[in-house]
Amino acid sequence: MKKVLVADDKDTGRELVRTVLEKSGHQVFEASDGEAAVVEARRIHPDLIILDIHMPGLDGFGVIERLRREAAFSHTPIIALTASAMMGDRERAMAAGFTGYITKPIRLGALRAEVERLLA
Amino acid sequence: MLLEERFRELLEAAPDAIMQVDAEGRIILLNRVTEDMFGYTRDELLGQPVEVLIPQELHARHAQHRTHYRHHPMTRTMGSGLALEGIRKDGSRFPVEISLSPSSSAEGFRVTAIIRDTTERRMAEERLRRVQEEYTQRLAETNAELEMTNRELERANRLKSEFLASMSHELRTPLHTIIGFSELLGEELEGPLNEKQMRFVQHIHKDALHLLELINDVLDISKIEADRLELRPEAFDFTALVAESLASIRSLAEAKAHKLETSLDVPTAVEADRLRIKQVLVNLLSNAIKFTPEGGRIRVEAGVQELFVVVSVSDTGVGIPPEEHESIFDKFHQVGATTKGVREGTGLGLAITKRLVEQHGGSIRVQSKPKEGSTFLFTLPISSADRKTEGA
Repeated sequence: MKKVLVADDKDTGRELVRTVLEKSGHQVFEASDGEAAVVEARRIHPDLIILDIHMPGLDGFGVIERLRREAAFSHTPIIALTASAMMGDRERAMAAGFTGYITKPIRLGALRAEVERLLA
Repeated sequence: MLLEERFRELLEAAPDAIMQVDAEGRIILLNRVTEDMFGYTRDELLGQPVEVLIPQELHARHAQHRTHYRHHPMTRTMGSGLALEGIRKDGSRFPVEISLSPSSSAEGFRVTAIIRDTTERRMAEERLRRVQEEYTQRLAETNAELEMTNRELERANRLKSEFLASMSHELRTPLHTIIGFSELLGEELEGPLNEKQMRFVQHIHKDALHLLELINDVLDISKIEADRLELRPEAFDFTALVAESLASIRSLAEAKAHKLETSLDVPTAVEADRLRIKQVLVNLLSNAIKFTPEGGRIRVEAGVQELFVVVSVSDTGVGIPPEEHESIFDKFHQVGATTKGVREGTGLGLAITKRLVEQHGGSIRVQSKPKEGSTFLFTLPISSADRKTEGA
């Protein structure tokens, strides 16, 4: 059983991802903003983090910047989840250190495939 | 007529003041214009030093000039001399231009001076200068206004872009959970659904996906209109892209029992925005599927003509009346009678398709007759960078 941390400021969004991942047999932890995501990551040491880019306060880019500075998270797979579909967003995310990129609305198949790819 | 009389007539007919001055600078001859110009009578001037017609402060200098001229006489034509000032009997001053010509005779050295009052010309010049100044000033003001307008437009455009980005984000966020949860319910991992529940959930899912398409279309056209759609050209295999596009619509085509056919001969790599060209192909293919009754045939052909790839997507569908061959590419146009029974779109698909093709430097048109199917033909430069100039 892998530990997955899901950070999204929308509770419906978190519940969707949690349900899908729990059905796939993973243990899911939640954070409702960027600061909480950093705290929770340090506490549980997840095998995978799914970060909503767009969160009030510390956003996804802010979270990954902090986590990547810590040795414990230098190689943790982190997926960017975003509802923005502007050109160049994916490149920007990859440049910031994300290892995966999924746009909202998610297709469940795509989410499962990306998660399994990064946990393999 | 006596020579002297004819000479006198000539003198009086001249438009300028004409006078003669002797070696000592005394006026010995003058015409009527001289009297009018300076406000003296002939008798008042004859025998007077010429300095009487010159402002006081210039007397000394003028006397010097006169002496110098006496020793170095030369003809000085109108306009070549200095701009001087004359003074009238009443003390008023006016600008003059003077031409001089020396003559020596038995009676001694003389200078003939022709004097032109340049007040009018000066005023005209002054008016001209003022008009020019005013014009220059106004031009500068207009330029400044234009610059301001430009800056405002740029700002408005930027705000529009930001608005688009945030609208896109805001609209997709709730769709995310609608699409996700309906898909999840449909998978029945949380328990089985009865037939009706399953159908309802699938309706929600399908229409939510449709709504997403509409949002994407509106976003695309807004980006195109705001000149914010950037192409990202890359070299790719066109044949593979057609196959990929066909794969993404295959299930739609199979649902209506359409046959898909291709005839492709594009040996070279094409340089274009791969995703956008796929969008063009998928759009034309989905239209073909949509507007063709069940059991039709949809065919994609592509070949190279000179520097262009020429692509056609044809169907055996309802066709388009000739009067709509242009307007189908307009925003929000939907083919009148033919849309009956067809799920509505935004009416933006072909408008977006056309802009995308044109932004690549290609063109698109349709050949069709009602009930005989339609063929959409588009061209794409083999090497097509974004044709629009940077920063336009």
